[in-house]
Amino acid sequence: MDPVIWIEILSRHRAVVARYRVSGPEIRIGRGYGNDVVIDDPYLAVEHVRIRRDESGALVAEDIGTANGMFSDRSTGKIERVVLDGDRIIRIGQTYLRARDASYAVVRERPLKRQIGTWPVALALAAAILGMEALSLWLGETNSPKLSRYLPPLLGLAAGVLSWSAAWAILCRIFSGQARFERNLLVALVGLLVLTLYSDFAESVGFALSWYPIASYDYVASYSIVAAICFWHLRVIGPSRLKIKAGVVAALAVITIAAQTLPQIEARDYAPQNYARHLMPPALRLAPLRSESGFFADVERLKSRLDRDRAKPASASGDSAPSDSED
Amino acid sequence: MKQLSILLLAALAAGSSVACAQPAPSSPPPPPSVARSSAAERLYAAARPKLLQIRTVVVAAGQQSSIGSGFLVGAGGFAITNYHVVSQFALEPATYRLEYTAADASRGELTLLAIDVPNDLAVVRIDKRDAPFFQLDARAVAGGVPKGEHLYSMGNPLDLGFTIVEGTYNGPVERSYNERIHFTGAVNPGMSGGPAVAADGRVVGINVSKQLGGELVSFLVPARFAVALLKRAQGNVLLSRESIRAEIGRQIAAWQAGLYKSVDEQGFRSISFGPYRALESTAPWFTCWARTTAGQVPKPRATVDTTSCYSDTRLFIASDLNTGFIQVTYSYFRSVDLNPFQFAAFLSQHVESPQIGGWSKKWYTQQRCHEEFIAASATGDHPRLRAVWCARAYHEFAGLYDVSVSTMTQNSSSEVLVAALSLQGVSYENAVTVAKRFLEAVQWTP
Repeated sequence: MDPVIWIEILSRHRAVVARYRVSGPEIRIGRGYGNDVVIDDPYLAVEHVRIRRDESGALVAEDIGTANGMFSDRSTGKIERVVLDGDRIIRIGQTYLRARDASYAVVRERPLKRQIGTWPVALALAAAILGMEALSLWLGETNSPKLSRYLPPLLGLAAGVLSWSAAWAILCRIFSGQARFERNLLVALVGLLVLTLYSDFAESVGFALSWYPIASYDYVASYSIVAAICFWHLRVIGPSRLKIKAGVVAALAVITIAAQTLPQIEARDYAPQNYARHLMPPALRLAPLRSESGFFADVERLKSRLDRDRAKPASASGDSAPSDSED
Repeated sequence: MKQLSILLLAALAAGSSVACAQPAPSSPPPPPSVARSSAAERLYAAARPKLLQIRTVVVAAGQQSSIGSGFLVGAGGFAITNYHVVSQFALEPATYRLEYTAADASRGELTLLAIDVPNDLAVVRIDKRDAPFFQLDARAVAGGVPKGEHLYSMGNPLDLGFTIVEGTYNGPVERSYNERIHFTGAVNPGMSGGPAVAADGRVVGINVSKQLGGELVSFLVPARFAVALLKRAQGNVLLSRESIRAEIGRQIAAWQAGLYKSVDEQGFRSISFGPYRALESTAPWFTCWARTTAGQVPKPRATVDTTSCYSDTRLFIASDLNTGFIQVTYSYFRSVDLNPFQFAAFLSQHVESPQIGGWSKKWYTQQRCHEEFIAASATGDHPRLRAVWCARAYHEFAGLYDVSVSTMTQNSSSEVLVAALSLQGVSYENAVTVAKRFLEAVQWTP
């Protein structure tokens, strides 16, 4: 009796969508009902491919003289004959398939570990984010505290994360067949935690070290983090073509950042922001203090910059800020 | 803060509408005027040929863009008016030209001979050399006019025709750095540059401005500045069109040098805010106002006590450019029950960013700022400070800057003294000197 061969039909994402158990010296695949494996792909010939064993016993696929031919996975050159080692994928019409025989070695089973469930982790992350958000609201509170000032932003945040994860879960379901809501939720929560930590960090570091670009350009970091989150979501959808996914996400991030940076650079004539806008307790200052004479020496240096500005004619670009019309 | 503004009396193109313009009823002529008004009648009859309406005309359109008044003084067609009446022409001689209209409807071109920006005066010349002219009052030049004396102000208000207004001399304005006479009388836009004469017809002062929000509170430039400027104009130093801007810059520079010298001479006194001490000028031309949030309802979680002193030294340069202003503001913030982070957030909301007035690209370079955290002095009475210095230069006036300095004490997380100093039209050197003095005066005694 001939050994068993499995013909596996794959999706565009190379996931198995159907598996046929066949045997015999020669297996025929095509659209017609005379074949061993029947595939409803309009681009397939009635009899398209036959699979049999060569002298060494390896499985070989051969094109049965069809109009559309046979291809090796994604390559565009037609092939007549190819040895199937169990991992090679061939494309006929719009169908991807591979063949494996009973001797194909599968990987060892994964040991069954006691894993922490997704939900406790998600809840812990959500609690951390909401806690930090509530804390930063409280630290910015200068009026008498009211619950109405805390609840809407926190609920909004929670609703936002849930809808974001749900949207990705729907995309995931469409493209890979599984929603994976928990995975998507985890990705969103971890990303949001990083975002929250970064914005607090940027504000403190900006004040502590007089490093104001970190605050005025914090959107660069934020968009980069959001891009990373999107990339991670795309990875959850499917592990294939990661480079293309990364490229697309990075390109979108760069375009968004550029679109926001351009007006900032052009507006710098009017509002140079090289002093603290968000004050923090004096104890958080890390940079060394200057002496008074050092300050006035810097002030003198500023004069020469102003005199250089004066020498430049007032450029015609941009519209002027409203001038005071007090008489 | 209560800050009264002054209206300069050149009527600009905006125009004014008359509420109810009915034709005058043809009633029989009024009985002959009583003796009281005869002085004004006599004065106006004598002054009429010596008065001018001065109009700034847009060359391209041939229509007036602002109007003021002026008067002939001295033989040879010399006339006095306000600098602000001719300022458009002075700054843009290619765009505008000056014209006069006399009471007899004769018209002609005007030549600008000299300007005095700080005293808001200008000397112009008409093309008629034989016109009658006013005499300047020697008593006024020497400062000997008694308070309460009748003065008669003349000019062409709102383009309605030449007018004479009776009022009272009320002496020099006490709180003004630039000398001005307080005249109680109805001076209206368009009368700028017109004369105010005593009963003998001699000029005591020149109409310049009125106080908005007051009644009949008007100001005159003392006649002695006109005497000095006229002497300069007759000295044949021609003011070329190209050199006017540089001349304006020179005058502001010289004026601010005098101003900061007197601020220094007038001295300072120490004032205290909680545990902090700071400096206040004792010069009489500073007006100070204080306000507090302590009484607010609901009770604020941090209180702010603000003292703001500003000088009455504003100079008119152009309709969109005033300079010469000095302002010192202290704000003492004290936390009632805010924690250090909340108090810092409160400061971020309430401490104004160091921006100096309005900004127009036409006059100023962009503002540049420098921030530094300055260490406390070794003796400990100077607290740690955060200082922000912002400055911008004037495109047209070399050596002049607008400077704003803000310092904030950093020795406590529950109370802070913010000192904000704003100096307009100042030399860099003077700004540094003043800022250093104020910065060093911020002290803390626990």
